[in-house]
Amino acid sequence: MARELPLADVKILDFMWVLAGPGITRAMADYGATVVRIESPNRIDPTRTVGPFKDNNPGIEHSALNSNNNAGKLTISLDLTKPEARDVVFDLVRWADVVCEAFSPKAMRGWGFDYESLRAIKPGLIMLSTCLMGQTGPLARFAGFGNLAAAMCGFYKLVGWPDRSPSGPFSAYTDYIAPRFGLVALMAALIHRRRTGEGQYIDQAQAESALHFLAAPILDSVGSGTNYEPVDNLDPNYAPHGVYPAAGEDRWIALACRGDQEWRGLCSAVGRPELAHDARFADAAARRKNRTAIDAEIASWTRARAPGDAERALQAAGIAAHAVQTAADMSEDPQLMCRNHFLRVPHHTIGETWVENSRYRLSETPAKVTRSGPALGQHNEYVLRDILGYDDARIADLAAREALG
Amino acid sequence: MLDGCRVLDLTTERGFLCGQILGDLGADVIKIEPPNGDPARAIAPFFRGEAAPERSVLWWSFNRNKRGITLNIESGEGRELLLRLAAGADFLIESFNPEFLSRHGIGHADLMRVNPALVQVSITPFGQTGPKAAYEDSDLIIMAAGGVLILYGDEDRPPIRMSVPQAYLHASADAAGAALIAYYERLKSNFGQHVGVAAQESVTLAAQSTPLTALVGGAETRRMAGGAKMGAIRIPLVWAARDGQVSCVMLFGPALGPFTRKLMEYIFAEGGCDAATRDTDWIEYGAKLLSGAEPMSAYERITGQVAAFFRSRTKSELFEAARQHNLLIAPVATIGDVLENPQFIDRAYWREVEHPGLGVKLRYPGPFAKFGATPIAYRRRPPQIGEHNREIYLDEMAIGQARFDELARRGII
Repeated sequence: MARELPLADVKILDFMWVLAGPGITRAMADYGATVVRIESPNRIDPTRTVGPFKDNNPGIEHSALNSNNNAGKLTISLDLTKPEARDVVFDLVRWADVVCEAFSPKAMRGWGFDYESLRAIKPGLIMLSTCLMGQTGPLARFAGFGNLAAAMCGFYKLVGWPDRSPSGPFSAYTDYIAPRFGLVALMAALIHRRRTGEGQYIDQAQAESALHFLAAPILDSVGSGTNYEPVDNLDPNYAPHGVYPAAGEDRWIALACRGDQEWRGLCSAVGRPELAHDARFADAAARRKNRTAIDAEIASWTRARAPGDAERALQAAGIAAHAVQTAADMSEDPQLMCRNHFLRVPHHTIGETWVENSRYRLSETPAKVTRSGPALGQHNEYVLRDILGYDDARIADLAAREALG
Repeated sequence: MLDGCRVLDLTTERGFLCGQILGDLGADVIKIEPPNGDPARAIAPFFRGEAAPERSVLWWSFNRNKRGITLNIESGEGRELLLRLAAGADFLIESFNPEFLSRHGIGHADLMRVNPALVQVSITPFGQTGPKAAYEDSDLIIMAAGGVLILYGDEDRPPIRMSVPQAYLHASADAAGAALIAYYERLKSNFGQHVGVAAQESVTLAAQSTPLTALVGGAETRRMAGGAKMGAIRIPLVWAARDGQVSCVMLFGPALGPFTRKLMEYIFAEGGCDAATRDTDWIEYGAKLLSGAEPMSAYERITGQVAAFFRSRTKSELFEAARQHNLLIAPVATIGDVLENPQFIDRAYWREVEHPGLGVKLRYPGPFAKFGATPIAYRRRPPQIGEHNREIYLDEMAIGQARFDELARRGII
């Protein structure tokens, strides 16, 4: 007998926006949760204004970033400054198992949406607040994007060239870590509630979650006084280890040589078997020291080859290597295609678009990703009528009072 | 929250974090190492530089809240003991290459035979099947394959990775979430299943949907020192301050333009730009740049003014201004700065953990979230090799002293 999607019984009221928060509920929608997002036309989700845009045409319904991060969710557009809109929220709280939000602590209290108030109308409620630095402490009110938390967590100093100012990670790095922990937190709370009936409030500081990815340098700094400075692609254990030019403009191949045996294989693979006997390259430490000479040898081989050809030749010789994939490479990657990583889905406003699949496979209850992220206000009618059971008069009244934004 | 759940953790360093997360949530996690200790214990760095398996920083970082036993699962008797443990477990997490466990008679079908309710979690580089399933890998390779590496570094040099390995942490954190989704389903169906996580797919999240660019016909995002080129527009994120760097977002459009407006008001008030620059329409600015109505040279003149202003101020002056005026500016911190950040101290984030024989306590990142009803506790420091062999094999499995000694003598435990 086919099993129901894992979260088919879970109802989520989602006040979150930008990247880190909505990434959590996107994953839950993939596995069957009903997610109702609250959006406001007066407070556009910034990801609606960030690309990639469909046909390179900016517009609030054209962002593949926003659509990808919100795939499978419902949305209702509410102007929360209106008391009638806040009444809709209270009805949605009565409907929901989980409320997630990313406002400032002050805003939620001001609306009467703090956990104590909401729990009073919905016993057993689970609520997650997620923000950069947490709900308490001197920086509780410091809001912003994941680049700021990444800078304050120390990630920036770990990407760069020794002779230059740090380059830093791409865009908003903690936003790619925090949602994974946020999902864990909500799932743990749901499991706890199913076992005990008890709901709870969760305070996620995205920086505090992200620092788990720096546990090793933190322990190393405290324990041994080690300084972490930019080292481009050098690795303390492997050599050679880096990115080499391939044929074509801005095309590259990444390569990691994980031991002396692989070094010998690499020498043969690049047509220079005699280097395996060269004393300058006897072990990883020597190879690191003589990096310039090695890099020139490898580059003279890679430069003549397309990245994919170099990747296949090196992998055939047992070397860890991969083309440094561009977006175009990604969409044609045979492995990602085999895993159905990219899915073409219908979109309310622009016909169709593409989203990424769930990043994991559950053998018996696989993710069901069939819809893009919603267009602004797309499900107002559905949420009010089908979920909350409002009648025509009440819906008309909300519209007349401009509560629907 | 997972009190009473048992997790068998067979992972290599690819998956340590997954079991640790489940352990933080209260599960009884049993880390199973080969009899001579996990190979990851030989990876640098080591405590105070001295290479030894009980001084491995990597091991400590990701094996808290676990008990540790040794077992050679490749031997017939080791397999039997593992299957016995699996019969009473809720989760089994592993990160071997595809096919490894089935070759040793411990594949998913074998595990389901002894325990149909088991949630098995497999973390692999590229997945269990597919043309690249058997590829050799490393952190750098996964970042290259996942569309992340191409976005990192300076445009005039090759792409560079983050120098502290990240790829498998993304995969392991995903694996923990996926495992809990499967476990929640099990509470209803009473059946387990096989959860597969491919690191290549996991890291794609860190490419911020740019892997969709070609499919939707968008403008390509490219790497740039201290920022990114989004289509034709250069977006700086790292700016030099008088005493280091800050990160600052200066963007356009209906959602982000208002922040840039506030930034320019602040810079104007401090004498860093003229009124006309301040009064630029930051909401429409991006569209004007793309249409050519505003030349790129004008944008570069403005970012140049902002850069000159930032260079005249210290990181803390800029951060103070950010807090006062709600600007998107934060200091670029070293690990040392992070440890002293008053925010983490005020929230009692850091956890000091005692390790036998070191003479010092080590500082660990604290709970990844604050749970109101069921706070995360750091109940156990990372185990030493075979530390809980007696407890588990003798006290809990009751295999008997004679068999225990025999298995130890033959190098099975």
